[in-house]
Amino acid sequence: MSSPAPRPSTSPLASRRLVSGVSPSHSPSQARNPVSLRLYKVLGAGFEDEATKEALRTVSELYGASNAAGSKTTNVNGNAKPIAGSSEDSDELDSDEDERSDTDEDEKLSLGPYLSRQVVAPTGAAARARKNLRRDIDLKLASSSRKFLKALGEVDQKLDALQEHITSMRTQCDEAHEQLQTTNEACKSLLDQAGNLRQERDMIATQQTILNLFLSRFTLSSEEVTALTSRDVPPGKLFFTSMDKATKVREDCRVLMGVDGPTKAGLDIIAATFANLEQAYEKIFRYLVSEFQTIGRGNRDRERSVDPDANLEASPILKEAVRRLRSRPELLSEALGALSQTRQSTLLATFLDALTRGGPSGLPRPIELHAHDPLRYIGDMLAWVHQAIAAEREFMESLFGLGREGESSRRMIGSVRRFEKGKMGETEEWIGEVVDRNVGKLCGPLRVRVQQTVRSQERPILAFKIANLLHFYALTMRRTIGEDAALSQALGELSEMSYKVFFDAIEAQGRALLRDLDDSALSPPATVEEHMQTLREILSVYESSRLDDPSDTQPEEDGKAETSGGQSHFGVERILEIMINPALEVCLTAAEDKKRSRPTWDKSVFVLNCLTYLQGVLEPYPFASAEKERLDALVEERVNDLVNEHYLDILRDAGLDSAVAVLETKAPGDPLSRIEATQPNELSLALQKFSNWLSGLEVVHSPRLSRLTVQRLHSRIHQAALTRVANAYRKLCEEVRKPENKYEAASTLLGGQRPFGQIHLLNQIFGLGDEGE
Amino acid sequence: MAFNDYDADATELLETYDFLMKYIIIGEAGTGKSCLLHQFTHNSFKDHSQHTIGVEFSSRTVKLGEKKIKLQLWDTAGQERFRSVTRSYYRGAAGAILVYDITNRQSFTNLGRWLADARALASPNLVVVLVGNKSDREDDREVEWAEASRWAAENDVHFLETSSLTGDNVEAPFLLCARSILLAIESGSLDPDKAGSGVSYGDRALRRVNSSSRLSFGSLSGRRRKGSSKLRLKDYVPGTANSKCC
Repeated sequence: MSSPAPRPSTSPLASRRLVSGVSPSHSPSQARNPVSLRLYKVLGAGFEDEATKEALRTVSELYGASNAAGSKTTNVNGNAKPIAGSSEDSDELDSDEDERSDTDEDEKLSLGPYLSRQVVAPTGAAARARKNLRRDIDLKLASSSRKFLKALGEVDQKLDALQEHITSMRTQCDEAHEQLQTTNEACKSLLDQAGNLRQERDMIATQQTILNLFLSRFTLSSEEVTALTSRDVPPGKLFFTSMDKATKVREDCRVLMGVDGPTKAGLDIIAATFANLEQAYEKIFRYLVSEFQTIGRGNRDRERSVDPDANLEASPILKEAVRRLRSRPELLSEALGALSQTRQSTLLATFLDALTRGGPSGLPRPIELHAHDPLRYIGDMLAWVHQAIAAEREFMESLFGLGREGESSRRMIGSVRRFEKGKMGETEEWIGEVVDRNVGKLCGPLRVRVQQTVRSQERPILAFKIANLLHFYALTMRRTIGEDAALSQALGELSEMSYKVFFDAIEAQGRALLRDLDDSALSPPATVEEHMQTLREILSVYESSRLDDPSDTQPEEDGKAETSGGQSHFGVERILEIMINPALEVCLTAAEDKKRSRPTWDKSVFVLNCLTYLQGVLEPYPFASAEKERLDALVEERVNDLVNEHYLDILRDAGLDSAVAVLETKAPGDPLSRIEATQPNELSLALQKFSNWLSGLEVVHSPRLSRLTVQRLHSRIHQAALTRVANAYRKLCEEVRKPENKYEAASTLLGGQRPFGQIHLLNQIFGLGDEGE
Repeated sequence: MAFNDYDADATELLETYDFLMKYIIIGEAGTGKSCLLHQFTHNSFKDHSQHTIGVEFSSRTVKLGEKKIKLQLWDTAGQERFRSVTRSYYRGAAGAILVYDITNRQSFTNLGRWLADARALASPNLVVVLVGNKSDREDDREVEWAEASRWAAENDVHFLETSSLTGDNVEAPFLLCARSILLAIESGSLDPDKAGSGVSYGDRALRRVNSSSRLSFGSLSGRRRKGSSKLRLKDYVPGTANSKCC
């Protein structure tokens, strides 16, 4: 293909020059502008570009094919050409090759003959082609156009059909659309309805969850209700949690009773839970009652009855039940009443067993075996009761969970003292009350036995010991179970009674002293001595109960005074009074009586002896000091009396009595020597008698006073009397020496007999100090 | 009644016990009985303690091996004037803690009287533990350990020294006593079912009795065979002993 291309390209160049040269005048305008421009453009144009090449190639193919076929028929060529042409057309339809092909056409048109010649010259086919090109192309174009037309006609027809289809489809679509719309319209309400329903459902679901929450919060499940109310289900964990819940519900219900007045739901719920709770409390109550009844009897059933505290335990449920029921005090107290009843009878039975039967094998021995020893008997009974109380109390404390929560078993049960000091909380009151009731029934048998024992006491000392013991336990019980407890009161009464028995006993003993008094001895009567022996024993018992530890007495006494109204101290005063007074009375009346029947009997010495004996009894006891002081005063009085008596006795014995009497009684103006009893002769005799007396034994020892049991008093009285004698003698001497008494030889008169008128000598003889007046 | 659901949860929290034992604490006044007891029950020293009046009561649950034992402790006054009162409390005691003061010879020489009282008045199986208290006051000691130990051996009682001031060895006498009582029960010489023995079964033991033999004491049986009680006593020599009995 490339080989033929340059040739035509070079040749047209030359031919064009020729043409332009040949006919310039033929068409000057044409030659000048468009044609020449075109020519130049054509000449300037290279055919090297692909499009041109392609076009040329197509043309060549158009003919090439017919050449190759030997161009047998033009028809064939003609047939072939339009095809190639059509393809060429289609190929170069909208490019600028249009223009070129136009120019080609023009060239062919204008230069056709020349070119045909030139071209035909080398080959016939080419020439022919050149000649027919246009036609061929037209033909070809026409045929292809026809083909197009035909095809397009078909297409048109198809399109028409299609159009029809589309139209019908459209109408149908419209219809469908219309239908859809109507359906839509119709559905809309349904949809709305559905939407509403859905909303409603959602709302209801929310409400339901809310309601469920509400119900679960504000109502009890049937299971819980059953647990709370059924008689068949014993209280257990579920029961208590249900109770908690019910309580919580009631608390929460306050919300429902809001500002705008109570809501119906709130009221209903409150009513329902109230009923449930009441039933629950009822149930607890019934449970407690039945449990208490079995617990109370537990020990009896097991035939281990003597130990009252054996196996008294509170189970956790029991404790919890009690704790719950505390918010229903009336029920609790009724349940506890049931407990008290059973405990009462159990304790009573075990107490009686301990009293009469002892243990099953007789060990420990029954308490009543020691009934002959009243102290031990009563002590054992009270100790048993005390221990029973401790056990009861411990049980109650564990029942009420007192001080046990959170702490392990280390926790100690309140001791007696701590209980006393501890504040009485509500629980304490419960416990105290129940313990009181539990042990209350023990009062009966205890009282009977103690009373019997106490009443049968005749010996005051034992009665006193028993009274002390009872008093001690009365205090202990008061501190353990409180002042108002039945047992405390019973013990208080018993203690009082025993004191009364004791006082009665000593009073009776005192009264007994008054009989049988005929006895000339100067020592205290034997009955008084016996009596005082009793007092001594009582006082030493009292002392041992009081002065065992001097450093500790003070606070203890305070405590006792507080709790017993100072009974102990008052008690001893009273004892002393009761014991001493009759003794004193006995001594004094006895002295009078005896004096009356025996004038010579020495009353003063006897009384002093009695008094000093009583003093001696009280001497060792500091707490008896008041009583002793009373006695001291009495003794002092009696001593002075005796001193006086003794002084007069001595004067009488020594013969000075009349002279001394004169000294004291004479009128101031009378001279002594003129009075009868003191005339010089008389006086001289008296002085001689005195001198004789002075040499006697009586100066140092008075037989009368030697009958005093206390020698100290003997010498004291004797000395005092002698002092007075010496004073009397000195006064006598002074008077005799006085000139106005008109003694003629005063110094002779006095110096004739010992002590020669010398006081100091007399004092020496008497063994008195010189300083005496 | 069946309330097992609740019971089972709470069983271990409770102070249920296998045995209940009654102890009495005796000895001369001022030997520290109340302080010893206070130290045992409260773990603290009782300051400015006054003389006990009559008898006071406290209790504590201890664990001995597998057994829980509730001790009812009766603290008696040592003063002579309360003797007639306190004597009534020996009745039915299972154990006696006999206390003397190592700094007070008099309290030691009077022990014989106390022991005689205890033996005469308490249950025949009474277990006595002699306690030399105030072992913290070594400088004032008037009673030698060896002498007291000899006395204890002669009188067939257990012996150890304690200090209720420091708390040293304070639990030991109580546990020692409990152990001896348990051994007596095991050997059959003491029957908790009999009243007046000072021992009784607790709830826990009763429950167990229903299911198994009552005389099985678990680890306790094994230990008993290891040595005589005298060997064990050596553990309580002050200074060498650990104050925990079990």
